[in-house]
Amino acid sequence: MLVAEAARDAEIDTLKEEVYRSLLAPESAENVNLKVTLGRLAEACTAVNRHLGAPLATMVGLDDRERTGKYRLIYVFSAGRRWVSVETEIDPTNPRFPSVTPGLPAAHWYEREVQDMLGLIPDGHPDPRRLVLHDDWPEGVFPLRKDFDPSGPVPRVDGYKHRFHHLHGEGIVEIPVGPIHAGVIEPGHFRFAAVGEVVLHLEARLFYSHRGIEKLAEGKRFDHVLQIAERICGACSLSHAVAYSQAIESIAGTVIPQRAAILRTFYLELERLYNHIGDLGNICAGVGFAVGASQGGRLKEEMMRLNERLTGNRFLRGVCSIGGVRLNPSTEVVRDAANTLHKIEAEFRNFVDLLMGTEPFLDRLTGTGVVSYQAARDLGAVGVAARASGVDCDARRDHPHAGYGALQIAVPVRTSGDVHARALVRVDESLISFALARELLSSLPSGPLAVEVRELPTYETAIGVTESPRGENVHWVRTGKNGSIDRYRIRSASYCNWPVVALAVPGNMVPDFPLINKSFELCYSCLDR
Amino acid sequence: MDIVLLLANLGLALIVAPLLNGIIKKSKAGWQNRQGPGILQPWYDILKYISRESVISEHASWIFRFAPYVYFGAHLAAAGLVPMVLIESPLSGVGDVIVLVGLLALARFALALAALDTASNFGGMGTSRELAFAALVEPALFLALFALAIPAGSTAIGALVGDSGVTVAHVLAAGALFIAAIAETGRIPVDNPDTHLELTMAHEGMLLEYSGRPLALLLWGTQIKQLVILSLLAAIFIPWGAAGDRSAASLIVGLTAYMLKLGLLGLALALVETTNVKLRVFRVPELLGAASLLGLLAITSVYLVGG
Repeated sequence: MLVAEAARDAEIDTLKEEVYRSLLAPESAENVNLKVTLGRLAEACTAVNRHLGAPLATMVGLDDRERTGKYRLIYVFSAGRRWVSVETEIDPTNPRFPSVTPGLPAAHWYEREVQDMLGLIPDGHPDPRRLVLHDDWPEGVFPLRKDFDPSGPVPRVDGYKHRFHHLHGEGIVEIPVGPIHAGVIEPGHFRFAAVGEVVLHLEARLFYSHRGIEKLAEGKRFDHVLQIAERICGACSLSHAVAYSQAIESIAGTVIPQRAAILRTFYLELERLYNHIGDLGNICAGVGFAVGASQGGRLKEEMMRLNERLTGNRFLRGVCSIGGVRLNPSTEVVRDAANTLHKIEAEFRNFVDLLMGTEPFLDRLTGTGVVSYQAARDLGAVGVAARASGVDCDARRDHPHAGYGALQIAVPVRTSGDVHARALVRVDESLISFALARELLSSLPSGPLAVEVRELPTYETAIGVTESPRGENVHWVRTGKNGSIDRYRIRSASYCNWPVVALAVPGNMVPDFPLINKSFELCYSCLDR
Repeated sequence: MDIVLLLANLGLALIVAPLLNGIIKKSKAGWQNRQGPGILQPWYDILKYISRESVISEHASWIFRFAPYVYFGAHLAAAGLVPMVLIESPLSGVGDVIVLVGLLALARFALALAALDTASNFGGMGTSRELAFAALVEPALFLALFALAIPAGSTAIGALVGDSGVTVAHVLAAGALFIAAIAETGRIPVDNPDTHLELTMAHEGMLLEYSGRPLALLLWGTQIKQLVILSLLAAIFIPWGAAGDRSAASLIVGLTAYMLKLGLLGLALALVETTNVKLRVFRVPELLGAASLLGLLAITSVYLVGG
């Protein structure tokens, strides 16, 4: 027993040394790749996670049978400004791997997804049920394997029956809600176990809006895929587009012009602003505070109209191109933007005063839907949800992208982890974003808008990251032949935060769920892809 | 009993109840920086639902089919009990405040059964909340009304309509009845009539399974209930202008005064809704408890200071 433990400790020590050595090595200033055998996968991942304090950023499963005859798993960690990838290969004759989840809870959904989409079974996963595929999907059909043909329909079959966790006991009722709701919102099925009005357990069954975007991108030319990336999500179109473009640019070795970088940054801040303001209005709607809801909605609308005047699109679509941006804003439009932002900022401050001066509103928010620091860390929460629970993370500062490297980014962090904290983080960030947007507008450099990217090297990988209004988006891209995309793994902020929602609800009352949900304001489409 | 007056009251209630709701909605919209729908919109909605097909769950029994008629009928009967344009109430010889509260309870009972009948979750949750609130609202209603009935020596509604002047009991009872009115009309801070969030619904949750003509009856019935409650408040606490006889002049004055009073109370409800936030479910009993307490204080004041 002791001998085995000592041996494992020694192994972890060598791993740590390996990691440190590669991090210190000057030639690998960007990324560190650790190739490990299947047997060492779990230890390598936990070692990187614990000893380097590096959270899991994404996990990619690849069908590499054509090239190497193997499947490949890549766990990517965010260590400071660098990415540490732990790679392993899986033999197709025995498509199983030891689950990393028991030592690294944040990996739980990635491994279930790999099981659904590639048929790679995580041995020892605490919850090996289906995640992405629904009950009518046939067994043994794996959409992300290269031999899966996406052109025809897949037959719907009976057979798989999703087993929800049931709670038994006196007075426990199960409340199924959705996927079709009374309001016009995205689909999601929520199952509450409650005693009276108090929720004991919540399970969410999502992935109803799966469009197969990752499969769709395979084999398409890289510039075409940008159009797809923009349509992953409505509310964070631009941050997805920029994340993808950056991944492609780093594969091509392109440095975008300064003017393009600043414009991208400016538009990303506009995206954050219209989302944060709208989300604050939605929190008001969650408690029936109609004045707040309509003011939030009105200010969001003003922001979106500004987006349209600036870029021709309310959702800032079409403005980002590979190698830069597409549209050069005229001086009149820039002046209009400066004036409008000034006006909206003043009105936003009044709006915040109204919210913070309404005692019954604050009463509903305080202490509702608490996420502990530990839970946020363990599940790898990102964005507003993480920062409201004391996790100091922001991809704008931690992985500087677009033009953020030259800016001083203040990261507001709150520690109470409740709906109130999430609302306050949005307020703080919006005020910071107004200031940033103003600063960027006044310092717009002149110069070209974009550089052309014609060809890409074959089988190169890169990661593009952006801080979307909901948190960090990580796009992992590998190129194929002739400028095509071989594998595109999109990890949105919502993907990390949905499991956190399920954890925030127990102990609260059933009618507080919509409020808690709105305080995260996660996106179903980003998650489902 | 006076058939002409009864028919006039019922007709007025049927026509004005949706308009009153329209006015409340419009004024809320105004305070929220919105245009809002026109005040005739509730009427258009009722007409629309009447012409629509009704989809009924295959698990529903006869209770589900009959409940809307009971609900509508009970509220319409209640409209016959309250004084509107005239000081007197058309059914004054037949029923008193106890019958009035009983009719409201009958309607609620019918709707609760119907909402449970289809075994839908939201019906069940809505019912449990609505009945929990009702159990607290009814004592408040009774206490406040008794505080007025004791000095008048009668529970007849006509007897409560004030010639006794403004007393401490009146003020306390008015507070209790206003809170009860908010709860009975399903408004913020107790319930939210405009929500689409099914998990937070009380009254709306009970209606979710209904469509078509039965839904029209339920909506109309709810609006009549709102009118009845506001008419009762108006008759007891702001009796000025109500017609004492049936001359044309006093009828015109009475009608104008009645409409103004309804509008005023509607605006008060809209104002409370705009300036407040829905309470946590577990804090609603505190509010309704306060209403009961006000009612109790009103009764106490009758004995302590003689009204």
